[in-house]
Amino acid sequence: MKKNKTLIFLFTAPTVICLLLMYVYPVLRTMVMSFFRVEDLTAGLDKWSFNGMDNYIKIFHNAGFITSLKNFLAIWIVGGVITLSLAMLMAVILTSGIRFQGFFRAAIYLPNVVSAVALATMWVQYIFNYDYGLLNQLVTLLGFDKIRWLGTDAKLWAMIAAYIYGSIGYYMLIYISGIEGIPAELYESATIDGASKSRQFFRITLPLLKGIIKTTITFWTINAATFYLWSKLFSPVQTEGATIVPVVYLYDTVFGGKGVVNRDAGAGAAVGVVLTLIIIAVYLVTERLLRSSDLEY
Amino acid sequence: MEKTKRRFNWKRELRMLPGYVVVLLYVAVMVIMLSWIVGASLSSTKEILTGKVLNFESGFHWENYITAWTTQNVSVFFGNSLLYSVVSCAGVLLIAAPSAYVLSRWHFTGSRLIRVALVIAMSVPAIMIIMPLYTLAVRWGIRGRILLIALYIFMRVPYTAIYMLDFFASLSHDYEEAAAIDGCSAGKAFWIIMLPLVQPAIITVTIFNFLSVWNEFFMALIFTSSKEMTPVGVGLLQIVNSMKYSGNYGGLFAAVIIVFLPTFLLYLVMSRRIISGVTAGGVKG
Repeated sequence: MKKNKTLIFLFTAPTVICLLLMYVYPVLRTMVMSFFRVEDLTAGLDKWSFNGMDNYIKIFHNAGFITSLKNFLAIWIVGGVITLSLAMLMAVILTSGIRFQGFFRAAIYLPNVVSAVALATMWVQYIFNYDYGLLNQLVTLLGFDKIRWLGTDAKLWAMIAAYIYGSIGYYMLIYISGIEGIPAELYESATIDGASKSRQFFRITLPLLKGIIKTTITFWTINAATFYLWSKLFSPVQTEGATIVPVVYLYDTVFGGKGVVNRDAGAGAAVGVVLTLIIIAVYLVTERLLRSSDLEY
Repeated sequence: MEKTKRRFNWKRELRMLPGYVVVLLYVAVMVIMLSWIVGASLSSTKEILTGKVLNFESGFHWENYITAWTTQNVSVFFGNSLLYSVVSCAGVLLIAAPSAYVLSRWHFTGSRLIRVALVIAMSVPAIMIIMPLYTLAVRWGIRGRILLIALYIFMRVPYTAIYMLDFFASLSHDYEEAAAIDGCSAGKAFWIIMLPLVQPAIITVTIFNFLSVWNEFFMALIFTSSKEMTPVGVGLLQIVNSMKYSGNYGGLFAAVIIVFLPTFLLYLVMSRRIISGVTAGGVKG
């Protein structure tokens, strides 16, 4: 087909402008800004002063940021292991020839479709509520004392549990599409050879899903590093040590919040860069550790 | 998803019992949670606080919904979210579809670069871009609804373009050649012939764009400066925050249900399409 230069230009120009304006320029500016002292986000370049690694040194000496990193690690590692394992378990169950699997898939994916703010509000105002919440009703039924699920000690874990419940479905769908891509003959011949179901899972399913597991680890890392909404909903009015995450710290530092005396856009940019580096590092490490197998099927 | 039609076999079903228990447990939590919230949205605040939600001793309190819709401003939030979602879905198609088409048809200087940039842009975290975007918006004096709509359109361009690229690539070149013989210009052929041919892709991609914009929270929180332009997510947060002054729990749960319903209903009708769309476009290993 003949190349039509005008058409090509006119049809791609809006997308190119979008890429430059929304992604390329902002990412570069954020990276540069992380090496400058910038108090007010809207200040012109002439008000920026270079200060090397000072923003990075500052945030790593800030108690709030360190707490937020610890919470991030809890969400990323504990939340990640549980979410991905449960998602895999559900995927295996729903591909094992169970009845109503279409309904179950739809039901388990549902939390990913509805407003997360509405979902989080349901957990905070109902499940974890001290007076009339579901969990405390169960606890009382079993004859124990009510528990402060949203007290300082338990809050982070309550938040992670609610987040896991809502996240499983997405990773489950990814695993299901992976499992359905594995030829049925592999399982049939394994069954004939007398391999048990669990043996089949560890010897066939898991190794063949290596590439997909790698992808889900990267997705989970991105979601954990940019975790914000649930933290905001579990501590809506004021930022709290129990639920602070790096993006909440970033928001408070840049746009102001409780306990922030001087706004510091440069430090905020440094937080963004650190989080992006974490994501890239995890991606590279999993890429090396879980090198796609040479297995063919 | 194949329908497994088979005779009921007790032994077989019994072996799968643990599996049934696990998934049923998950679904049970959801059913309990949703029915309680619906019950609470129809109960008085006193009934909620004393744990008598599903008894409806004082009847159904439909006025909770009226309170939420009017006094708690849910009507405003809802209208805004609808506006943002609908306009962005249309806008993103206008930008992404033509470029996806051109990228799928010709190799030209920079075409590979644009493709790679689109894929990378999909995974750029919002935290890396919102600060300069905020500066730009202030500098250029863009605010209000138009700002959020523009951001939402740009936010969805990479995903939409990449998704549609594969669909255009699968179309035969015969269509355009026939159109050219009939004297139809290439641009016109795109809008009249090629775009309607990828209608299934347009529907799927628009559903995902709608869900994403309706549920967006972070940018809405940063870029909305007044109640008049607040969408549902941030609006609901404001209602939660004002609870300690209003103390109207019935109204809060009614608001939760109103925010919850639109995408839930969309999902009821479209779940098959949505579920197959999640992993389509290839989560590759």
